[in-house]
Amino acid sequence: MRPHKLLAVMLSLALVGAVACGDDDDTDAGTSGDGGSEGAGPAGEAVTIEGGDDMNSILLPKCTGIAVFDQANEGAQEAAEELGTSEPEFLGPSTCEDPTGQIETMTNAATQGVDAVMISNNAGEQIQSGVDAATDADVSVVSWDSPIPSGEGESLFVAQVDFDETGVVMADMALEILGDDGGKFAILSASPDAANQNAWIAALEDALEDEKYANLELVDTVYGNDDADESYNQALGLVDSHPDLELIMAPTTVGIAAAGKAMTDEGLCDTVKVSGLGLPEEMREYTQSGCAPEFALWSFVDLGYLTYYATYGIATGQIEATEGQVFTAGRMGEYRIEKDPTRDQGLRIVMGPFTLYTEENIDES
Amino acid sequence: MPEWARERTWELLLAVILVGTIVYNATQSPVYLDVDNFVNLFRLSIEKVIVAVAMTFVIINGEIDLSVASVMAFAACVLAAAYESGVPFGLAIVIALGAAASAGFVQGLVVARTGISSLVVTLAGLIGFRGAARVLLEDRSVGDFPDWFGGLGRDDFLGPMPFALVLFLVMLAVGGVILHRSSFGRRVYVIGNNADVARFSGIDVARVKLVLFTMSGLVAGVAGVLFAARLGSVRANIGEGFELDIITMVLLGGVSIFGGSGTLLGVALAICIVLNLRNGLGLANVEANTQTGVIGALLIVSVLAQNLLDRLPLRRREVEAEA
Repeated sequence: MRPHKLLAVMLSLALVGAVACGDDDDTDAGTSGDGGSEGAGPAGEAVTIEGGDDMNSILLPKCTGIAVFDQANEGAQEAAEELGTSEPEFLGPSTCEDPTGQIETMTNAATQGVDAVMISNNAGEQIQSGVDAATDADVSVVSWDSPIPSGEGESLFVAQVDFDETGVVMADMALEILGDDGGKFAILSASPDAANQNAWIAALEDALEDEKYANLELVDTVYGNDDADESYNQALGLVDSHPDLELIMAPTTVGIAAAGKAMTDEGLCDTVKVSGLGLPEEMREYTQSGCAPEFALWSFVDLGYLTYYATYGIATGQIEATEGQVFTAGRMGEYRIEKDPTRDQGLRIVMGPFTLYTEENIDES
Repeated sequence: MPEWARERTWELLLAVILVGTIVYNATQSPVYLDVDNFVNLFRLSIEKVIVAVAMTFVIINGEIDLSVASVMAFAACVLAAAYESGVPFGLAIVIALGAAASAGFVQGLVVARTGISSLVVTLAGLIGFRGAARVLLEDRSVGDFPDWFGGLGRDDFLGPMPFALVLFLVMLAVGGVILHRSSFGRRVYVIGNNADVARFSGIDVARVKLVLFTMSGLVAGVAGVLFAARLGSVRANIGEGFELDIITMVLLGGVSIFGGSGTLLGVALAICIVLNLRNGLGLANVEANTQTGVIGALLIVSVLAQNLLDRLPLRRREVEAEA
């Protein structure tokens, strides 16, 4: 389509490749994010992603009917409009409980021969057969929110925030709420196959090793499958099984709102606080009542927007999914593709940043 | 209308619906008619349709087995737990299938010996075996099975067909012969029509029921193991709600929920209709919720149509009598 641009991209890639190979690229996996930026120096020209070609795509959330995924869809639609391409189809299973729905949508996408699928993976490794079918059919697969664990078949993972940072943010919020004396807290997560939540929990556990958090004791981890009812019951179950529990940390917007409601309904807010990752509009009530004094999140609209831009760039060949590739994604600005340090294999871009919500700023949001 | 005529009419109607679905899908999506797509649409639901074959026998027999999805998960979890604790994989599969068959046997024993409705007994099974699966794996997801096992679930086995699809076709053929051509099959129908009459005519009703429930458990176990192979990892909540999809296919196939009538051919046609409909709607980017709604509507319409079919000749006779 654009021979000059394509040539430029390929040349830059060749350069990046040469530089990367010159580096000891295997040994510095832990710091590859930083190493990549220097390595990409000569080829670091940011490619501005532009419209022109059409892209048929599917935006595949963990399940439909969850506010944050609708917001991501809004962002993706906005990006599609800016780029003047077909609107992405927003398709997903109706419950987050059953991962086979995502496999089915992914397999159908391969059959349809769409240009790209953007997935927030809720099926753990089970998604692999679907992803393989998609890559065999030359469908670009980009993950967002929750990656493909193996990284195989996936071009890129658009991470909302740095996964290790998520662990520290949650540990800090726990410390803030429980005070220096610390106390016992438990995690209420989404589904046990959710790669993002699992990585955050692991990062939180890592963060807790630090002296600073010595008084924080993680006593239990339970799963509410991103179902409001189930999460509500799991939250109450935690209180029953750990009488001296002081905090429920839920790294999922469904879980944190359900926990807030459960503690409020049972009048437990004075003894058990709620924190984690939540949507301001769903958490306002609990933050104002002091039940959830502090929680964090990022913009899902931006995440959907950025994901669409990155996917469009890859599917139309404007950028390559390789380490060191830099591109400009509309109003979101510049991003650099780097190795994903949280997985053995796979590339990512990190969106960021976190917004911390407290009583002070909850009204503005 | 005699029973056989009712069944033929129904099968004809299903065949017409199936052809209609296929023609409609073909006009909607150019890729629909690909061989790979036909294999895929079976592959994505193969565990359910395998269980539907056994369920056909159970429902024609005048019973129901609500525990199948839980037994599937139970078998898969037994497999994972055994493998995890160091049992060789082949042996773990045997243990899992044994556990599933025992689950069916126990429920069959209770139904046959106590006369408690199978609706109640297998509802307890639905809850109990799901619970057992959860006890085994808790909230964990267990994977890392041997490569050949993953290949069994994903790779082509015969032509473009995976192993599970070949197994399904074999089960359909063997099941058809047993149900429609053997004395055991005749007994299944007789009991389903009227268990008392069957008993008086010397049929060992309890024995037939015991065999059917054990078979239902075993087939659910096979489906559970194949599900594990296709997914590559196992969790206690896999297949939740599958029993309703399975029963839907059987009833849509013209099998009477009260027992005594229906054919495996009808069920096979119904399976093809449901799968093609889902696939076609999926390729047309119709939402999952709408898909479920369409299939629900189809079931209601089909049951109404069956009802109408039953009454139609009766009315005609009444009219003739009046005239």
